[in-house]
Amino acid sequence: MANQRVLGTRRIWLPGVVMGLLAAVIVARLVELQVIEHERYAQQAREELQGSSTELARRGAIVDRNGHAFATSVDTWDIYVNVQAWTDPDAADRAANELAPAIGRDPGELKHEVLESGLIDTIVARGVDYETGRDLIDEHPPGVIALPNTTRVHPEGDLAAGLIGIFGMDNVGLSGIEAGLNDELHGQPGQAIFERDTAGEPIPFGQYVATESIPGKDIVLTIDRYLQRLAEQTLAEAIERHEAAGGTVVMMEPDTGEVLAMANEPSLKFSNLNLLEPGQVELMRNPAVTDMYEPGSVMKVITAAAALDAGMINPDTTYTDTGSVDIYDVSIRNWDYRTYGEETMTGVLQHSINTASVFMADLLGADRFHSYLDAFGFSEPTGSELPGEASGFFRRPDDPGWSPVDLATQSFGQGINVTPLQMTSAFAATINGGKLLQSRFVKAHVNPNGEREDARPNVIGEPISEQTSATMRRMLEDVVHPDWHSVAEPQYYRAGGKSGTANIPVPGEEYDDAQVASYIGFAPVDDPKIVILVKLDDNADRLTGTQAAGPVFAELVDASLSYLNVPPDAAQYTEAR
Amino acid sequence: MATINRPWGGAGRGIPFPLPRVNGWVLASVLVLGLGAALPVLQNSIATSRGFDSQLMDARQAQLRSEIGLLEADVARLTALDRIEERATALGLGPADDPIYISVDEPGPAPANIPAEHLPGDVPSPDEPAPWWQSLVSRVPLPR
Repeated sequence: MANQRVLGTRRIWLPGVVMGLLAAVIVARLVELQVIEHERYAQQAREELQGSSTELARRGAIVDRNGHAFATSVDTWDIYVNVQAWTDPDAADRAANELAPAIGRDPGELKHEVLESGLIDTIVARGVDYETGRDLIDEHPPGVIALPNTTRVHPEGDLAAGLIGIFGMDNVGLSGIEAGLNDELHGQPGQAIFERDTAGEPIPFGQYVATESIPGKDIVLTIDRYLQRLAEQTLAEAIERHEAAGGTVVMMEPDTGEVLAMANEPSLKFSNLNLLEPGQVELMRNPAVTDMYEPGSVMKVITAAAALDAGMINPDTTYTDTGSVDIYDVSIRNWDYRTYGEETMTGVLQHSINTASVFMADLLGADRFHSYLDAFGFSEPTGSELPGEASGFFRRPDDPGWSPVDLATQSFGQGINVTPLQMTSAFAATINGGKLLQSRFVKAHVNPNGEREDARPNVIGEPISEQTSATMRRMLEDVVHPDWHSVAEPQYYRAGGKSGTANIPVPGEEYDDAQVASYIGFAPVDDPKIVILVKLDDNADRLTGTQAAGPVFAELVDASLSYLNVPPDAAQYTEAR
Repeated sequence: MATINRPWGGAGRGIPFPLPRVNGWVLASVLVLGLGAALPVLQNSIATSRGFDSQLMDARQAQLRSEIGLLEADVARLTALDRIEERATALGLGPADDPIYISVDEPGPAPANIPAEHLPGDVPSPDEPAPWWQSLVSRVPLPR
């Protein structure tokens, strides 16, 4: 009886223990899965269940100062294929046959590409136009996913292409205004997180968390499209006429520092854009702000303005030129090897006498001359919105290798490196009343809600007095309109200006035969509305700055001021009847 | 005996079918509970339907916005300088020769109306700050 009781008890507790152990194992496993490894498995489940997509924000438009679009974005679609939906050969064939014609592909190739990609979602087309994408969404071929995107269009074609620049597929600017103002233009991307089925398709009414993308701001440039076109066409003609390797034209409003036009040649072209081609990446630079050159005699304007402002000279101060100046063992001669004898400072600028520039720089001394160069902005970028702006360079007495010859050559624009934009900005300061203004390409930002924020002129410094500036205007007028005929004289306006012809330095050697011919000037003299810099690189005909770039300047003054409704100074008026 | 074709009628009449006696309060409670239970379902259904409508409206709004963008791009393309020149040339127009300037006694025409978004905004003039002693004076009870 006792044995039976014992056995009976064992029959109960032995299975009980076994079952208890099994239950404990199961509970332990559950604790492992649900508690200890919870995050890992939850993550795995989310990855399988949840899909996400990033919607890039609509990029802001870039328009000229009158609201004409240089670059704007239109909605397009990027087409992806989820390979899980194409594992069934029949479904894959059907989907490929529906999709391929819409995106201009061969069905067989498309299917092969998707199945061999090794990716879950394979992109098969970018920038598909809006209507085609909508049709695809309505037809809904298996596994085909259309995600919204935008494509940049340039209604003005290649106009100002180098200035506007380009951006990458990630909506980040690579060059030009697109890069310099990327933060304002690109907006904020949106994101969608959704549950998807085994074929990777979003489950209708599944969890869907979306943050709306916020469009970028529109940028109103200071550029005028008409003047930009005028600058580009005139520059291209001049380059062809003088067989130059390239060139630059900058037009600036002297009272505000607003750049009205900036043309470079060679330049980026939207119509022929292929960054894989050798040399195309080089075109992403804007040489008017990134590349330095030796300005040559144009720098005599700055030297004369500094000497005038310091009270060392006046327009009638005389200098007797002997044809050369010896500094240590270096003999500095005039550009044409002539001896001019006694000349006033105005005559010095008219004849572009190198030895007289050396005279003016000597009167100032190196420290004072360099402090004027600093004040004119030649030792730092102009602060424009374009990326990669160079800061300029000239050797100072503390620098290694300095010699007094450096001061002499800097006075007439050799041995000093500046950018075309720096030169234009400094020249504007000599004739606008003595105010150095920040060079600007942006007139306003327009928020997505239409609110406009205007940029204001920014005075960086006052390198010379208003009186010195007025004197410089008269002296420069006498340079453009001397007693003899000058090819740089505009037909209808009184202008002021100065030419420059500089040899191009070769690293490790002295100077090459190649030259830069340039002309910088302003008009009208009494109330300057525009400053124009014309620069021709390595013109094969070896004409001087006055001969090659001067006529281009004159042509641009007449055409641009007429467009800007500035009454002409020298026109034959007819009485109205 | 004639047979009367009344297959159901007789049965109903023959077997008494007692109607349950239902308390009015119970019936009302059941109805209220039933409606209460149906209400969330109804709300859910309406919310789902509205959500679907909202999604459709969002899609429609996005489509209209895209179409506006496309139309704006079209307008920009049609008013591009190259196209204007092309049309002008087709109409027989060309660049002017030497312009003739005429002096007139009348003032020039008013400038063209520029769209408001292209005009610089008004610069608010900062208010003159009140002198520091004014707040002290204002607390003193002075006869007015």
